[in-house]
Amino acid sequence: MSKPPTKPRTRRGPLWYRRWSTYRRLTAIAFLALLYSGTTGAFERYFRGSTSGTKILEVVPLTDPLAAIELSLASREFQTTALLGAAILVGFAIVMGPVFCGWVCPLGLTLDLNHAARRFIRKHVLKRRRLEPVPKPVSSETKYALLGVLIGFAFIAGFPLFQIISPINLLVRAIVFGSLLGLAAVGVIVAMEWVWPRLWCRALCPLGSFYDLVGRFGLFRIQINPAEAGKVPCKQCATRCPMGVPIMDEYTMKGARSVTHPDCTRCGDCTEVCPRGVLKLSLFPFPRKAAPATSCNPHEGDCECGDIPLPVMPGASG
Amino acid sequence: MGDWSRRQFIAAGGGMIAGIGLGGLYSATGRVARGEPMLRPPGALPEDGFLSACIRCGQCVEACPFDVLKLADLDQGAAAGTPYFVAAENPCNLCRGKDSLRCIDACPTAALGPVELGAINIGLAHICVETCLAYNGTVCRACWHACPFPDRAIRFDEMLRPRVHGRHCIGCGLCEHACPTDPRAVTITPVEYIRRHNDIQHNPGHQGGQEDGVEHGVGGGEGRGEGRGEGRGEGQGRRRGQGGGEP
Repeated sequence: MSKPPTKPRTRRGPLWYRRWSTYRRLTAIAFLALLYSGTTGAFERYFRGSTSGTKILEVVPLTDPLAAIELSLASREFQTTALLGAAILVGFAIVMGPVFCGWVCPLGLTLDLNHAARRFIRKHVLKRRRLEPVPKPVSSETKYALLGVLIGFAFIAGFPLFQIISPINLLVRAIVFGSLLGLAAVGVIVAMEWVWPRLWCRALCPLGSFYDLVGRFGLFRIQINPAEAGKVPCKQCATRCPMGVPIMDEYTMKGARSVTHPDCTRCGDCTEVCPRGVLKLSLFPFPRKAAPATSCNPHEGDCECGDIPLPVMPGASG
Repeated sequence: MGDWSRRQFIAAGGGMIAGIGLGGLYSATGRVARGEPMLRPPGALPEDGFLSACIRCGQCVEACPFDVLKLADLDQGAAAGTPYFVAAENPCNLCRGKDSLRCIDACPTAALGPVELGAINIGLAHICVETCLAYNGTVCRACWHACPFPDRAIRFDEMLRPRVHGRHCIGCGLCEHACPTDPRAVTITPVEYIRRHNDIQHNPGHQGGQEDGVEHGVGGGEGRGEGRGEGRGEGQGRRRGQGGGEP
């Protein structure tokens, strides 16, 4: 008979199952630490700048692509260094997908930790065990409209508006350069998070929408294991997803083998809650299955698929 | 998927039209959110060009080895996130980098461009004859000693009183920093302030300084405001009378 799916989970230990949230927070913290190190005299020559633009080792420029576009339109000039730095990041996003949002963005890190705190308080302090659907007061297309507004505005008005009011930049400037006035805007967004979780990232952030557009076909994404998918419609992934992405819908409707929803930030939260190892965050898709998954009913004891020993995270079993 | 893309591009296109409208509205209202004139790093474009070309990344601030440059906060409106310095606290030391000055080397955009040392135009020094020690009978050469172009930007007349020559003064603020009086007798007026109030068509280089005249030493005593704290804010009030009295 089939083993209870809890057994391999406990064998792995909680740290292993939390690894994606750990990794992505560590990369974001490391990025923030690099930005901060730029203000010290010793490290200034190795890493310098803020989220708008950085320079690594005095050679490699990295520029926020939206900032580079805004600048070139606003100054009506081909800003070579800025556009080169933007091209590096855009190229990375085309190959890897919009990983900036989940893995680098300092505001994303703040909101992620805030969201975790909110979840913890709901569960352990308020004792609300019932899972809530993600409230969506604003449509996800709003961020694309805002992206258009910013680009049009930069061209006509002649200055890069988003680089001034972007909460990401405001947060970084507050941390790195000590410009504290901007923290008020960040505070408003964090306060909004307690009512509508991840509203900024999901529906409003123009930079996120830009990365969504260029990184649509990025390889690093949530892969669906067709050998395991669709057996238990538990929907824990979709409930857990901070962006409210209906993760398995594309699979059940069209048989998609990966999640390409534009709101996905590649954070990997869904892989951590999946009890059957259907999802993984990887560059490589699962191998195609030999037999269709719906051939048997997993609730019957003599079913073939019930005997699968359930290595919860494929590729790392053993 | 295809549905998603279509909705996104429709939203982005609609937003762009709205943005063009908003930008036109903003331009038509005369750039309301423009900040106060401040001392920009050397090699900076004229203010409007600078505000559109500066990416607000703060690399020049980090590259500055003497922590002279600061980043403007949100209260400066459209200038938020741009670099400036306060000459009285910490003047520009004009430090050499690899190709040009260090901040200019660090800038990833055209906001700060390579410039000859003598062609830098940050602002213009201005000596207040009421507080300057040399104009009041004491021998003082602090500004002359600090000036990177002594006997050119700051010269002494036959009474050993300092005079600023706009053709050579680049506005680094070393003289303001060195001035021993309180409030300081030498102050730097940002080029943007001169441009706005004299309505001089200003280019990087020295047109502004030349037209602004050689006689800055004794020009503007009468327009002086009371205290000088920050250097930027009060500097304006002081220059207003002087600017009007110019040719």
